[in-house]
Amino acid sequence: MRSVIESDYVRSLVVGTAAVLGLLGVAGLAFPESVAGDLAGIVFSASTATSTARLAAPIVLAGLGGIFAEKSGVINIGLEGLLIISAFASVYVASLVGIGDALFGVPAIWVGFLAGIAASTALSGVFGIVCIEFKADQIIAGLAVWLIALGLAPFMSTVFFGGVNTPNLGASVGWEYSTAMVVTATLASWWTLNRTAFGKHLRAAGENPQALDTVGVSVSKVRHAGVLLSGVLSGVGGSALALSIGQFVGSGETMVQGKGFIAIVAYLFGNYNPIGTLGAGVLFAGLDAVQVRLQQLGYAVPDTLVQTIPYVVVIVVLALVGRTRIPEAAGEHYETEE
Amino acid sequence: MSDSDSGGEPDRTPSLARRVLAPFADRSVAERLVISLAAIVLSIAVGFVIVLVSGRVAECSTAAWTMPATGMGFCYDPVEVYVVLFNGALGYPFAVGEPGLLNPNWSPFNLSFGLTLSETTLLIFTGLSVAVAFRAGLFNIGTQGQLVVGALATALTVIAAAPLLPDGPIAGVVLILVGTAAGAVGGGFWGAIPGALKAYADANEVITTIMLNFVAANVAYVLVLEVFRAEGSSVVATRYVPEYAQIRPWLFSASSDFALVALAAGVACIAGLYYLLEHTPFGYDLRTSGVQAAAAEYGGVNAKLTTVRAMTLSGAIGGIGGSVWVLMSEGRWMASVPDLGFDGITVSILAGNNPIGVLPAAFLFGLLKGGALEIGFQTDVPTELVGVLRGLIILFVAMPEFFRMIGRYAGMGSGGTGGVASTASEAEADEAAGTEGGEADA
Repeated sequence: MRSVIESDYVRSLVVGTAAVLGLLGVAGLAFPESVAGDLAGIVFSASTATSTARLAAPIVLAGLGGIFAEKSGVINIGLEGLLIISAFASVYVASLVGIGDALFGVPAIWVGFLAGIAASTALSGVFGIVCIEFKADQIIAGLAVWLIALGLAPFMSTVFFGGVNTPNLGASVGWEYSTAMVVTATLASWWTLNRTAFGKHLRAAGENPQALDTVGVSVSKVRHAGVLLSGVLSGVGGSALALSIGQFVGSGETMVQGKGFIAIVAYLFGNYNPIGTLGAGVLFAGLDAVQVRLQQLGYAVPDTLVQTIPYVVVIVVLALVGRTRIPEAAGEHYETEE
Repeated sequence: MSDSDSGGEPDRTPSLARRVLAPFADRSVAERLVISLAAIVLSIAVGFVIVLVSGRVAECSTAAWTMPATGMGFCYDPVEVYVVLFNGALGYPFAVGEPGLLNPNWSPFNLSFGLTLSETTLLIFTGLSVAVAFRAGLFNIGTQGQLVVGALATALTVIAAAPLLPDGPIAGVVLILVGTAAGAVGGGFWGAIPGALKAYADANEVITTIMLNFVAANVAYVLVLEVFRAEGSSVVATRYVPEYAQIRPWLFSASSDFALVALAAGVACIAGLYYLLEHTPFGYDLRTSGVQAAAAEYGGVNAKLTTVRAMTLSGAIGGIGGSVWVLMSEGRWMASVPDLGFDGITVSILAGNNPIGVLPAAFLFGLLKGGALEIGFQTDVPTELVGVLRGLIILFVAMPEFFRMIGRYAGMGSGGTGGVASTASEAEADEAAGTEGGEADA
């Protein structure tokens, strides 16, 4: 029953998106001078594709991380904070090593990339301990993760660089790399969740922890693993985001600008399916990229309105599709019966 | 399918729910208070370490503080940071290091204290907004959006209505009342949306309210940018409301943006909400839904309607917060709305979602805000430190079990008489009611 709903849902999502793109393509070919023509030109252009790839990386990767955490039974609403902390740490460590230099043969920018992953994983580890060992409310602890990162990254940036924005490194990671990581991570996540024993344990920890406990697998270990994976994947996303331009921007909501929350939306939209999450992430990032290009062509579409579309879409989907079915035991503590 | 709100809890009869509920109301207050205080102390301690460590890596010509015995120099003096933070937020009533200890020139009506109280006033409203939803078992992260909508409704209503009335103080009072009502309606409407979606479409309110925050900010921005922008304004903002329709400061200087009457209104709101929650049938419905949704419904509470009402009330209070922000602080709506709604979450959590507790919690965060400005003026330490403290306080408040463990540990060491340790036995009762902290099962 459930798998039917799921596949129906994903299929209609894919068909709907393809239909919109197809219509746009036909309209663009038929009336090349019209708005549709311009729009089609933008949507199918190479520069839009690359900026979509760049914008999609943090959303999709954090979304994949969110799946692992939530499937294991820990709702991680702090993805935004993980992206922020990894974005800052990657730039900081890269500049510490020095662009042009290398550490143990690894170029500085990739050392920074790894440092971003490490920072995010460490913070997710703290979040995991707080939620699993100290039974904190997961939503509140997740908010705390976001708020701590939101304060800590600009704080450290000011300490080290004298301002909330770091100077530009003068080097960056190309979009080809982040795209490769996104695709690899999506496929690996799907395979891990659906084809491995660990994936089975992970889903059991979220759906029926008692059963998992009965067969002798530690629920809290599996949940820790799920949360740490969300940290690793978000770290890749945050590092890719900051290093794609070679700078951390810490003013306002920082350069992450709610991408962690959109990531939550993306995996809910994709109904906890990594492939669906990839699709939703690319869709949201694509909207953003198209909107930027429209501005450049002089269309007076208020960009903030276009940015609002994903949020409205999510609300409508949540209202119409009803609830996306979250794992049965997500959000609840599990006491081992000894 | 209507029992979907019950989460994993087994069904219980209403009488049992009442038995669980009644002692909880009193017993947990003391424990919550201890946990909140412990969380603040622990956050300050961790902040101390952060200041020290960052002072070690920052570069400066002369050390601001030298660690005793080791001779290690640090660029930032953590003691000074906290002295400036709390003393400065009050306008330096204490003369640190002087023999008299008290500053003879201090008056309570100084600028810094005014700024602190101004922030406190605004946080009372947003904190209450979050708290009332929490008590109904709903996590309203959308107070920020409700405040933005309420603030815009207030500004536009007052600007539109001002020409209809003769200038003067009476018109001012009328405009303030009408504007605040508009704010309550606007915020209430924006809160009712996720409430209705939760009640009738089973959409998780955590997600919808986060989304509606973004929608509110973006739509309000575009509306003002395209339609209501003041001519010649360099920022995206509406016209100023007439001066006589602004809530005037009294005793405090105008630049502190603080009006005692607004604080009084906030305190009145606390009292009113406390009465509503504890002594009216609606309050009882609301609280029972929060503690045991299934039992409440079994006992005759219309859960769907209660959900919508609670969210509408929560949004309306957030909207009034927006009205106060416009009429007291800014005098107009402008695009850079401060994060008052998000801070309201922290205030409410620290207050244990108790309306009375919102007052000291709002004051604490008011102090942090006022003190952050002083840290910026008086020290080299980045003011973002205060943001870190805010996050740490929430993190520690969120993990009562941590403090219970410490309590149990300390209790065993000293023969089990510790104050925190004695509350360990209440963990069970708190767990039963703990669902109010985060109903995430929809």
